[in-house]
Order: sequence, then structure tokens, then C-alpha cells
Amino acid sequence: MKRKAARKPKPPKSRRPIPVAKMPAAKKRVKPVAKKSAGKGAKMGAKKTGAAAVSRPDAIDLLITAGTEALRLPLDPAWYGGVKFNLGLIMRLAALVDDFPLPDDAEPGPVFHA
Amino acid sequence: MLDTPATDYTWNSAADIGSAVASGRASAQSVIEATFARIRARDPLLNSFTALTEARALAQAQALDRAHTEGKRLGPLAGVPFAVKNLFDIAGLPTIAGSKINRDAPPATRDATLIERLQAAGAVLVGALNMGEYAYDFTGENIHDGPSRNPHDLKRMTGGSSGGSAAAVAGGLVPLALGSDTNGSIRVPASLCGLFGLKATYGRLSRARTFPFVASLDHVGPLARSARDLALAYDAMKGFDPEDPVCADRVAEPIEPLLDRGTEGLRIAVAGGYFKCKTAEACYAVDRVAAALGANRDIELPQVDRARSAAFVITAAEGSSLHLDRLRRRAGDYDPAVRDRLIAGALAPASLLIKAQKFRRWYQTEVLKLFTEVDAILAPATPCTAPLIGQQMFTLGDAEMPVRANLGLYTQPISFIGLPVVAVPLPLEPLPTAVQIIAAPWREDVALRLAHMLEMKGVVAAPRPQL
Repeated sequence: MKRKAARKPKPPKSRRPIPVAKMPAAKKRVKPVAKKSAGKGAKMGAKKTGAAAVSRPDAIDLLITAGTEALRLPLDPAWYGGVKFNLGLIMRLAALVDDFPLPDDAEPGPVFHA
Repeated sequence: MLDTPATDYTWNSAADIGSAVASGRASAQSVIEATFARIRARDPLLNSFTALTEARALAQAQALDRAHTEGKRLGPLAGVPFAVKNLFDIAGLPTIAGSKINRDAPPATRDATLIERLQAAGAVLVGALNMGEYAYDFTGENIHDGPSRNPHDLKRMTGGSSGGSAAAVAGGLVPLALGSDTNGSIRVPASLCGLFGLKATYGRLSRARTFPFVASLDHVGPLARSARDLALAYDAMKGFDPEDPVCADRVAEPIEPLLDRGTEGLRIAVAGGYFKCKTAEACYAVDRVAAALGANRDIELPQVDRARSAAFVITAAEGSSLHLDRLRRRAGDYDPAVRDRLIAGALAPASLLIKAQKFRRWYQTEVLKLFTEVDAILAPATPCTAPLIGQQMFTLGDAEMPVRANLGLYTQPISFIGLPVVAVPLPLEPLPTAVQIIAAPWREDVALRLAHMLEMKGVVAAPRPQL
């Protein structure tokens, strides 16, 4: 795709002292950065059964309770909200990856070399 | 020539200092003494250092001066003061990695490989630098040591997690610092503080004797005020190291002599789609760099939002596994924002981690195909200029989102597959920002050549703050 011409640059004035370019006026707002859609991969026929398609509203709570017990991790009640928020985020983002169709012989990124 | 009085050196480049000391126009001792005087005067404002290594630095400087007197040839970084993020081992100090917990660790017995290599080139270590706890950070804030402060506006973030590294270089304390970059921790602070930052190809620079974060994503590298200084540091540090199992055993030609080749024969494109900038400053920066390099086409990386998601999952899961034992024993001693994310990451199912790693390979294969069409890709380094210290949310486009997680929006999908990147600073008012010059694996030379050319054209430069 041909790139649109750049806006007129405002060159720095001199090299010593270090130049300071002026900022242009703020541009109009555009769409949010973080897209929540499953994206192209989903259109390619990916299943909608990803990890974040969490089956019950309290699934994250169950995972936190069982997981911290199984791993012997301490969980002060004051920390619970932060942990739940972050685990929910991880699961939502993981779902985006989980939804992407990969072949059975896909190799993981880091590969061990003997 | 040194462009400041012989007793100052504040804004001199590493290249200038090295040349002046090697030729005898300046003594290493005078450079290092001036450096500590500057640190004592300015660092109370910047909060960039967590430890000074004054005795060993002065001893090394004196040894360099003696060597010069004896007619010995000094290295290209002779007498150049540098400092390192406090996750690098420094013999005699505990490697605190921004934490409270590691302060109880025994002192390191040997310097990190990259410190040894810089010293072999004549550079002089002057101290350890503030960072986000255990490098799980994009802000430069630290609950134990206080935030490192942006030299261009002390109320604002440096970016992180190599926040002290950026503050020290941008604030004129040292011309060169080392940081680490797992998801953007060199490039984000380089952008917010207006510096040149190099994240070399994954496996290019040894991580031996540094405190890890996410082994499969961790990189280390330099921040400086010029592309030439990055190249000099890179040339001194590159090379195989059997003590880092990831470090590649491949030939790397010195880059500094190639810097003046310009854009000769290089095809350059601008990353579109996901990387389309959302703020005026980011758009201006990318447009300005693209125009100067004659980049007249857009190119779209595939599935970038998934790539960032996969990097997020891998970071959370791998990072947490590193900390499981410490979380069991001393969870209360972590920064709460780090602890909560680590506990959450420990609970992420392994099946999803492996899937993210498999996606990573797919994404790498697809992105590498683009490098048959282009030699370098331009993208914003950060979505905005430096937020205020303590700021929790920012607005991008129409969306309000957490600062901490999203400063690495544009860096994370690139380090995810280990591509070499140079962040180049645009000296905008009131605050700088940077553009990423992304090259194919092992082609640091391409990114550094372009960075140097932009600097020579006056398009990019590290602005000098009023402190």
C-alpha cells in the first residue's frame, strides 16, 4: 500500500544546543487501540471454545481458590481483587491466542537444543 | 573534541570521552571524578542510582591513566563512565533487581558478562540503577526505592522497567547505561526520556549474571544519547558467551565503522494496522522519521493483537514460575502491583502457556516473510509521551486504559519474536518520544545505520533537559 505523504515536518533549528521541535496540534480521536474482537484468526474458522470462554461466572474464583491451594501460595483477602483482575486479564488475552487455529505440528517458540 | 570545559563532560558522548582519554586530552580520573560530582549534585532530583561504585571506579580510572602514561593503547571506551540497571551482577553488591527481597541475597562474586566486556573496552562502572521491581514494569516506579524521575519533567515517569538507566543518561549523569528489555523495558524509557536505546536480537548479547524475568523473552542492551555510542557499546559487548545458554554463537561484524553508510540499498516501510499511532506526538514522530528515510509504503504485521496477548501470557506464566518459592515465603515483601500479577500468572494453565509459545513460532514465521520485502520497519515506541508519576489510566483514542499495562503496546509484539530494534528520540516539546526502527534478526547494523543517519540529518536527537 502506498503511504500517504507525511505531514509537513518541522525541522529542529540547530544542533547545538540540542534542537526542540514544536508539537503539532492534536489530531482528532481515533478508534481504541485494544481491540476486543477475536480478529482475523477467528474469521479463518477458529473455534469459539477458547480458554476465556469461561463456562461459569465464578470460574476465575474457583481457579484462584484451587490454584493457590494446590500451589501452596499465600492469598491475603486484601490481595484477592488484584489477583482476580489480573487472572481475568490473562485468561481473556489467552483466549485470543487459544482461538487461533494452529496445526498439530506447530513448534513452540523456544526450542531446546541438546 | 570535548565540547564542554575540561572538568565537566556532562553532555559529552561516550565516543568523545573515549577518544579524549585514549589520546591523553583528558584523564580518566578527571572524567570519573566529575561524574561522581554530577551524580551527587543531580541524582537527589532524578533518583536514578541505588548504589555507587566509587572506589573501584577511581581505581580503574587511575589504572587507565597509568596505562596511557606507559604508552599502552586504550580501548574505544577508555574512561567512559557507565552504570547498569540493578539486575546486573556487580561483584561485591547484592543484585537487588528492584526488590526488597533480594537485598538479603549474598553479594555477587563476579560482574555480569556485559560489564566485564565494557570494562575490557575501557569503560568505567560507576554504579547500579533504579528499576521497576523484578522488571515487571513499564513505569519506572519502585515502591522500595521511590520512582526514578524523568529529567525533562520531574513530575513525570521515566518509563520502565529500566527507569534509572534512562534517567541517568537523559539527565547527563552518564553517557551510557545498560538496561534490560523483556517486553519494552529499554525502548519505553528511551522514548519517554528522549534517548537512543538498542534492543539487539534475542540471543545476541549475553545475559549471564543478570537477574532474569522471563527467560524466553529477556534481552539486555544499552541506552545512550547517540547512535554512535550505542554502536560502540554494542561492538564492545557482542560475542558468544557459553554462560548464557541463549547467547548465539555467530559472527557479528563491528557496526561502528558501518554507521555512515546511510540508507544505501535499504527498503524501509512503516508498520500499519495495529501500529497506527493514536496520539499527535506519536503520529508526528513516525511521519517525520518516515519522511527523512524516504519510507513510502505501509506494511502490516499479521495478528499483532494476538502476538501481544501471547507475550502477555508468557510473561505472566514464566515470570511467575521464577518467583513461586519467594511468593510462598515472602509475598508480603513484594510491591503489591507486582505480587498480584505474579500470583495470577502462577495460576495460568500450562496448556495456554504452551499454546502461546506455539503461536509465537507461527507469528515469527509470518513476520520474517515481510523482511524479504523490506529491510526495516518503523513503528511508534510508545503510544504517548511520559505520563505523570502515579498516573493509573490514560486515554488513547476513545479508550481509557491502564498506563502500567499499555505503555508497551507497541514494543511488546516486536520483542516477542526477538527482532533487533533501535529506539530513536524525537526532541518534541514539551516532552520527547521515540520511534522504533525494527530490522530482521541479526541485522542490528541496519537499525543502527538508519538511527545514525537520522541523527546526522538532525531529525532525531536526545534533548538536554534543564535541571
